[in-house]
Amino acid sequence: MWHRATWLFAGTLLLGAGVYSESSWQKIRPSVPEIGRKEIEPSLGQGVLLGILGGLRNIIADGTWIRSYVYWEKKDRAACEALMRTACALDPRSRYFWENTGCVIGYDMAHWEIRRRGGYNKVTREIQDEIFKKYARHGLTVFEEGVKYTGGSPSLLISAGQLSEIKLKDSLLAAEYYRRAAESRGAPWFAYFLCAKSYWEGGKKVEAYLWYRKQYIEKLLPMEDGSPDDLNHLRYFEEELNVPFLQRIPRQKWEKKI
Amino acid sequence: MLKSMKPSLLRIFWLARLTFLEAVRQRFFAFLIVLGAAMVLSSFAFRFLDFGHGELKFIADFGFGGLFFFGSILALVMTAQLLFAEMDNRTALTLLAKPVSRTEFLLGKFAGIWIVLGLFVFVLSTLLGVMLWGRWQELVILAEQTAKVAPQFSLEGVFSHALLQWFRLGVVTSMVLLISTIARTFLFAVVVGAMTIVAGQLQWLAQEALFKPAELNPFSHALLWLASRLLPNLQQFNIGDALALDPSAVATGAVSAAILSGGFYLIAYLFLASLTFQRREI
Repeated sequence: MWHRATWLFAGTLLLGAGVYSESSWQKIRPSVPEIGRKEIEPSLGQGVLLGILGGLRNIIADGTWIRSYVYWEKKDRAACEALMRTACALDPRSRYFWENTGCVIGYDMAHWEIRRRGGYNKVTREIQDEIFKKYARHGLTVFEEGVKYTGGSPSLLISAGQLSEIKLKDSLLAAEYYRRAAESRGAPWFAYFLCAKSYWEGGKKVEAYLWYRKQYIEKLLPMEDGSPDDLNHLRYFEEELNVPFLQRIPRQKWEKKI
Repeated sequence: MLKSMKPSLLRIFWLARLTFLEAVRQRFFAFLIVLGAAMVLSSFAFRFLDFGHGELKFIADFGFGGLFFFGSILALVMTAQLLFAEMDNRTALTLLAKPVSRTEFLLGKFAGIWIVLGLFVFVLSTLLGVMLWGRWQELVILAEQTAKVAPQFSLEGVFSHALLQWFRLGVVTSMVLLISTIARTFLFAVVVGAMTIVAGQLQWLAQEALFKPAELNPFSHALLWLASRLLPNLQQFNIGDALALDPSAVATGAVSAAILSGGFYLIAYLFLASLTFQRREI
């Protein structure tokens, strides 16, 4: 009887440890964003297992990335994307992986598919456009995911804007991405102009001018050189929109006379 | 109560001391500590090979990986080897003929091995901490000069991770001790132990993949629930990157919760090991 009770106690102790472990894991899980079943599932058999066993994730991510280039050269869409996404999953804070994965999917893979279907002469222009748009949208989802994991990287947002502009031919969507890039921490100076230009080309000319003007006065003018290129662009907008002289941005001392 | 336990604790202490001395004299320990240190040091030279990770992250990941990998091998092989050596050389019989209980023998072995693992973790973590701190200082100066944002680093985080790793290795040791008390051969203990470590590392993944209550019948669900509680989730001790490089990402009390969880498993496995060891023929 005593013997059985001891075994029962040992079993209960182990179960108790297991139940407590579940609650401690809930506290720890958010600080380990690298791992997610969904992301690593396609390439579990490719040696990635080692990476999730603990530590060495960067090395495995680098190895996976190099391996993905082998498939990139072979133009093997499925394998290349699976490995690139795995590298992203193993080190989701690395902008490099997200940016290049998004670009490869958004720009290269559509060409691979057109070639697979018989080439540019065989595939009609309409279908080509459809394919380009399909992969561009897919590339944008990768960029969006990357933005989430990297804490709003402006480089990724700019890449997303460029993809929307070049492949989707959607200036307003591009403008939204550039605007988010311009409003994020560490935004490059050219993000403001890209945003205004895209709004302008998308037909929202007044909005483009007002937004650009506001950004110029608040952020670009206080810069060391006063951002003369941006002021030049704004002057062009003012001319085109026929903004009354008194409502224009006041002339700067250093500004050249046109 | 403590007074009545004193002789028993003293015997465990002496057994732990003997096990510790025996373990640190082993070439295997020296070999792994040199290999681990080489890996930590080489991360500094290899940091240029990476693709856009933060430099500190690369060094930390390399170092933590070495700590994890070699630490696991050390805990697995040393535990099985020291227990089987005692039984094969019949020294266990001599010891147990004296007024030393089997539980004391097992606890002494565990304590000795755990202290050796603590030494291993401390040496490698100190080395890694010094390297990371040194490089961090350089990067801070560089960031000031180029008006960029300096990377975050917490030396305290490195040692918190070391503590977590020590507990993880403690859980591994207690699991291998349990397996060794059942196993007939050293090879069996090592192979099954290695598989248990891998299963423990992937336990959370299996849970996420298999626990879909809508798709499972109650029996399978209960079986999975039980299996996932009996096996420790070893992944919860691997948060070195976050602790050292982004401490704000770690929830308050997460480290102590993981340590407590490791402690519970450790006690439970040791208790089970002492029960199975009572029945073992030596």
